[in-house]
Amino acid sequence: MRLALAIASFVVLIVHGVVFYDQFFHRWERHQEAYFDQARALSKNQQERAELEARAPRIEQVIVTSFGDTRVDRCGTCHIAADDPRFQGHAQPLRTHSYSAALGDTLRNGRWERRHKFSDFGCTVCHDGQGRGLENYYSHGEDPYWPEPLLGFVTQANWRAEFKPHLRGPEYLEANCAQCHTEENFAGTPHVSRGRKLFFSMNCYGCHRIEGMSEGTLGPDLTEVGKKWRVDYLWESIVDPRANLATSFMPKFQLSDADVESLVIFLKSRRGMNFAETSLARYRATHAAEIKPAAQPAGVRGEDLVREHACTACHKLGAEDGGIAPDLTFEGLLKDEDWIFEHFRNPRSRIPDSIMPAFRFPEEEFHAMAGYLAGRKSPPAPASPAETYQGLCARCHGEKGNGQGKVAYYLDPAPRDLTKAGFMNSKPRERLLHSIETGVPGTSMPAWGKILPPERAEAMLGYVLTTFTREPRREQAAHRVPEANPVASSAGSIAHGEQIFVQRCSGCHGRKADGKGPNSLDIVPRPRNLRNSFFVAALSDRRLFDSILYGVQGTAMPAWIDYGLSQQDVGDIVNFIRSLNQKPTGSQYARR
Amino acid sequence: MSQATKEAGLWTAVKELPGNFWSSIFRNPLPSSDLERASTSFTNFFLHIHPVKVHRNTLRPIYTLGLGLISFFLFLILMVTGILLMFYYVPSTTQAYDRMLDLRGSVAFGTFLRNMHRWSAHGMVAVVFLHMCRVFLTGAYKKPREFNWVLGVGLLLVTLFLSFTGYLLPWDQLAFWAITVGTSIAGYAPLVGQQIKFLLLGDATVGQEALLRFYVLHVAVLPATLMLLIGVHFWRIRKDGGLSRPEEPANLAVRVTAVPVEKAVEEKKRTYGLVGFVRGPFTKIGNIPDNSVYSWPNLLMAELFVFVLTVAAILTLSLLFHAPLEEPVNVMHPPNPAKAPWYFLGLQEMVSYSAFWGGIGIPTVFVLLLLLAPYLDRNPRGVGRWFARERLLANTIFITLVVVKVIFIVIGAFFRGPNWSFVSPW
Repeated sequence: MRLALAIASFVVLIVHGVVFYDQFFHRWERHQEAYFDQARALSKNQQERAELEARAPRIEQVIVTSFGDTRVDRCGTCHIAADDPRFQGHAQPLRTHSYSAALGDTLRNGRWERRHKFSDFGCTVCHDGQGRGLENYYSHGEDPYWPEPLLGFVTQANWRAEFKPHLRGPEYLEANCAQCHTEENFAGTPHVSRGRKLFFSMNCYGCHRIEGMSEGTLGPDLTEVGKKWRVDYLWESIVDPRANLATSFMPKFQLSDADVESLVIFLKSRRGMNFAETSLARYRATHAAEIKPAAQPAGVRGEDLVREHACTACHKLGAEDGGIAPDLTFEGLLKDEDWIFEHFRNPRSRIPDSIMPAFRFPEEEFHAMAGYLAGRKSPPAPASPAETYQGLCARCHGEKGNGQGKVAYYLDPAPRDLTKAGFMNSKPRERLLHSIETGVPGTSMPAWGKILPPERAEAMLGYVLTTFTREPRREQAAHRVPEANPVASSAGSIAHGEQIFVQRCSGCHGRKADGKGPNSLDIVPRPRNLRNSFFVAALSDRRLFDSILYGVQGTAMPAWIDYGLSQQDVGDIVNFIRSLNQKPTGSQYARR
Repeated sequence: MSQATKEAGLWTAVKELPGNFWSSIFRNPLPSSDLERASTSFTNFFLHIHPVKVHRNTLRPIYTLGLGLISFFLFLILMVTGILLMFYYVPSTTQAYDRMLDLRGSVAFGTFLRNMHRWSAHGMVAVVFLHMCRVFLTGAYKKPREFNWVLGVGLLLVTLFLSFTGYLLPWDQLAFWAITVGTSIAGYAPLVGQQIKFLLLGDATVGQEALLRFYVLHVAVLPATLMLLIGVHFWRIRKDGGLSRPEEPANLAVRVTAVPVEKAVEEKKRTYGLVGFVRGPFTKIGNIPDNSVYSWPNLLMAELFVFVLTVAAILTLSLLFHAPLEEPVNVMHPPNPAKAPWYFLGLQEMVSYSAFWGGIGIPTVFVLLLLLAPYLDRNPRGVGRWFARERLLANTIFITLVVVKVIFIVIGAFFRGPNWSFVSPW
């Protein structure tokens, strides 16, 4: 035991030694001593040499109170030569901070004078980092917990490796320049200006709100995004929106690395209230200004507006394809002007689960653009079914017919997987043909009958069934379903229907019947949104009864007749579903 | 002549001053006989908490594992480092985090102090829990030690709460959200849940009021409570006859002679010291063979050994691992998942199944079971041995509950990812 005691005591002693050594021999002291030595060697002045001789290492700090919260910047403890012009060629940390006319520094009588004096501005106002830290790991923000690593100089260990090379470079400092230099086209912050332009030209403003700049509500508010997030997160959110939120429907836009960088720098500069404004100025700016994109001169043609507003950042139009939203090339044949106009004003009034933002353009512009799109009436050249499929259908249903076209992710309901024989073969051929010819109301499936004559639509269906579905049809036992709902709609019937719905259906279809029940995320295709009035109104009672009683083959919808639902129950459910959807007036697509 | 004597007296006094000073403090020389050993223990304030003699079983490392002592020494380390940290800390939402950065960057030994405090705190929670397991598995809570077990459960709860209140003080993301989760669990209690939560936080959410309250609880109220409970806990150990131990073999059995008090007082013929009135196994009249050894030096050496070992472990840990300090509080941006401190992760895991049962119902039943264990289990056999065969049922139940608890904590700590969904840690 005595030996063990001796060993333990020895450990205690050793640890004390190490701790004391750490405590009394700092790296920054060595930097400062090196500086004193070198400065003495460089000095031509006897008195200065004597002063340097007398100096002992100490923590150098600047307390900055003029820019937001009080900052304590101790960077000068290591970077002690930052303001000593004799150290320009030296290695860090003993190097002079560069002088630059672009930063406003002036050369007078051979001596540079700084515009942004360290004694006034400190260091972290521009560079970020942790002012109080005295070790690289903390002060430079290499510690992954520190929210503000040195902008453009430090990438933290846990950042995605493929982003790191993009996130270095002095241009990132512009995000902090813009905290004071808020002018829109300030010469010192070209990346911020470019990012701001991209924010509008890529239609970011349609979904995102930035106080005083845009009013989008579909995506997160970006007013303080630069305060909340590091540059790696901003980069990731733009190039891979689903990395952080699996259910995000933000599109992956086609942006070059330089575009993404400018956007990241712009977003990093969004920190809510910045140093340049007072709370009062902020209040005035946000409450007085009406937010409007720059007004267009009267009589601008719709075609120019469509280009101006960058519709092809998402949509396909002729040769340009944003790869996110439906093809507008034949819009004039498929939709009429009224529909397009109403859809502009509020996309979800026509396609309830659309992700297209409701832009706040003036009505004249909507009219002009609707007129232009409605005028696109040149039909595609006649071609074989295979070519027609690749031209018109593949963008949504996928080149292999599996419902995984390049815009499929952004469509709700998703395009049908045409390879699923269970579904395709359980539905009568007339219904499939009907969907092609008249479209599916309330969804992005247009009425192709307006482009394809009946025999070509027929040929298209044949092509799809033989190419993608392949399995031959088998005759199925006849379903016993009524033509029309035998249960009269009444308050009692609806209440009973709701009760059954909540018990049996809400797990997938959701308590609100909007198709977003707790199980819905695990189901492909997703459960139907039963509040999509256009869709529900177009359903016959017969089809509702059939789907509920006998299930929908090739989907997760079970045959409820096996679980004891009677015709009476189903009738009540149908009445409940109908009661949720007021019958849309006007054309099957339009509701006024 | 008298002058000379006086001078000689003064001179002698000066010459003997160190020795006199020493002996005025330590009334006994280093002991060389049993009598002196006993006297040393009895007359020193710091030593008199020990009995003069302890049973050999008490000194068997494999029996106690020193866990109670380790908890106490960790508490001492926490007191010392905590008081030093108090010199730098300000319980204010605007200053607390900056003070943490200062501690790390520019206060002498700041990082090291914080590391020691942090790891000792975690260590204390773990060791107090293990101590409880030891006491249960050796059946040491049985008569006459029932109440000391109850005190021990109280000590465990206070320790947990002490650690929990300390968790908030750095005012970083880890602190803020752990306390948000922890106090939300308290909010699930029936009837008074929301009131308790409000009382703790002084507000609807974690903020300045909560920080101040947690600070006061952490540095004043709870340590005082803990010290009081520790005092009673130690006192009861002696009054309950020392640490538990197996029954003596028959040839060594001590016959306890109970002396009726009235009789002793009435009988004027013999005078008894106070010791004579003390009832219980240690009252020895006559020369009864026993199995005990003197505290000095046996018990003291053992204690010193445990102390040095504890200190060495904490120092080494503090040198190797830094106490975490995450991002400054951002109320708008909870980490996903937001996790409670590890010792409450079992609770949080259970809460994810059922808010009331996981957070309040089952823990309350657990604590009640613990408190009542010595009163429910009245079987007097199997005391003083690990995993005694006579206690198979009790031990099995206890171990099962402990294992379940540990499994829940492990799942909560390592297998829970964003949105509390199941993730594999490798």
